[in-house]
Amino acid sequence: MKEIDEVNLPENFRYVETHEWARIAGDTVIVGITDYAQDHLGDLTFIELPQVGDVFQKGEQCGTLESTKAVSDIFMPVSGEILAVNGALLDSPGLVNSDPYGDGWLLELKPENYEEIDALLTAEAYREMLGGLE
Amino acid sequence: MLEFSGWSMPLWYTAGAVAEHQIVIAGAGVFDTSHMSAIMINGPEAFDLLQRCFTKDLNACVSKSKTPLVPGRCVYGAYLNEMGEVLDDAIVYQVAQGNYTTIVNAGMGATVSQHLKAHAAGLEVDVTDLTDKVGKMDIQGPLSARVLMKVLKSPEATLKDMAYFSFKGHFDEKSVAANTFVHGTIPVLLSRSGYTGEFGFEIFVDPSQLVRVWEAVLEAGASYGVIPCGLAARDSLRTGAVMPLSHQDIGPCPFINHPWPFALPYSTDETAFTKRFIGDRILKLRETAEHTHPFVGYDPRKVSVHDPAVVLDSDGEQIGVVLTCVADMAIGRVGDRIYSIASPDKPEGFQPRGLCCGFVRVKSRLSQGQEVELSDNRRKIRVVIVDDIRPHRTARRLIDEMMYDTNSYGDGRHNET
Repeated sequence: MKEIDEVNLPENFRYVETHEWARIAGDTVIVGITDYAQDHLGDLTFIELPQVGDVFQKGEQCGTLESTKAVSDIFMPVSGEILAVNGALLDSPGLVNSDPYGDGWLLELKPENYEEIDALLTAEAYREMLGGLE
Repeated sequence: MLEFSGWSMPLWYTAGAVAEHQIVIAGAGVFDTSHMSAIMINGPEAFDLLQRCFTKDLNACVSKSKTPLVPGRCVYGAYLNEMGEVLDDAIVYQVAQGNYTTIVNAGMGATVSQHLKAHAAGLEVDVTDLTDKVGKMDIQGPLSARVLMKVLKSPEATLKDMAYFSFKGHFDEKSVAANTFVHGTIPVLLSRSGYTGEFGFEIFVDPSQLVRVWEAVLEAGASYGVIPCGLAARDSLRTGAVMPLSHQDIGPCPFINHPWPFALPYSTDETAFTKRFIGDRILKLRETAEHTHPFVGYDPRKVSVHDPAVVLDSDGEQIGVVLTCVADMAIGRVGDRIYSIASPDKPEGFQPRGLCCGFVRVKSRLSQGQEVELSDNRRKIRVVIVDDIRPHRTARRLIDEMMYDTNSYGDGRHNET
């Protein structure tokens, strides 16, 4: 496992206590899981994602991540409607391990309110939270 | 890292569990298995004690022709209590006449030693628990012998004609059998066996020399792509090979009606036992016992056996429990067949997504091909009851084809019987 100071956390992303990240792209939000999460889950083997058009509230479970070790939930970082999911993960779930902030993105959503985004953790705050988990 | 019977063990190393699983099928990987315990059983009546306590008939257990166990051969079986329940599964090595070593699971050295001593009344035999006194590593995968050719003293003489479930040497330099060495001088017990279903070896060595042997094997294996492999790959490889995990797939339940009849002292037609042993009375009442079956799914999605997970029939009735559920990441379905990355006839461009597999224990016998549903708190998955899981395993390949780079090993036609 990586040490906390080795975990890659891009400065311009926002983070959730449940180890998702959110990146604002114009008026939509791209969502994935953090480097810390992929490192702890280990190799991902199967990913279940929601349907385009589904609507979830912040914190609601919207998919699963299957690793060799266990099954974990994906939680919505903010409330909104699913605009797109990363279809490449069906055949290549390992993209989440190799490129968690790029080709390993999970879904794109249309947020219901931007205040929820403002309330997400900064990289610094998330890293501090990780330090408390160890 | 995972806490496992008091040992801190890596679930995977840097390559990750999927790469580690696949390298053992296509190349070779090494495992630190020092958590296993060894017990010495020595004396003029050591044979009688094992006949009483171990589920194999040592007079009829080697290869399909069921010849007696002899020095240099080893066999797989189990130690049962009077209820026919498994204390632990084990391998028994015959080192010499009246001189046996048995390898049991992590933390089981004391339990099995006490069990053996308790049943040794009137027998001239010494039982010595060597827990924490033997180091162990495994090298598993079709390239294993090629790697060992580079680290063994007299490699050709050691490996040539070495049969599946035979061994050479001993880890105790004072043993009469100590004649196999790594790096020229380190005595090892080299056993052609393992817990992956693939061709390979288990290497027993004095703990003070284990790191040297580990490093020598990794260095010799570097050009063959050998990597260290963790507990996750070990679990998925053994499951795909239909091997039980003690205390999970076998344990406090009569050791009968399962996919491992070879661990019992059956007559050739499998209608009777060829000897009496502790627990046999209960096993003979097999009609009343539950049944353990392997299963395989349609994709890598698993259920969590810790939830726990149950087995449902087509009416949704609960008929049993899930014992093991993992994903074998080297196999996939194409049409109505399962292929492995090692299958010689796999379709072009075959890239398996992996299949969930494991064992269920159910109230009454299920037939091969029957579909059942597994259910935990999260999901339900459909799986099929099968006799075997990962095809084209290499464990029984003829060793003389596996020692040199020039020979092919992938066609699967030259198995030992």
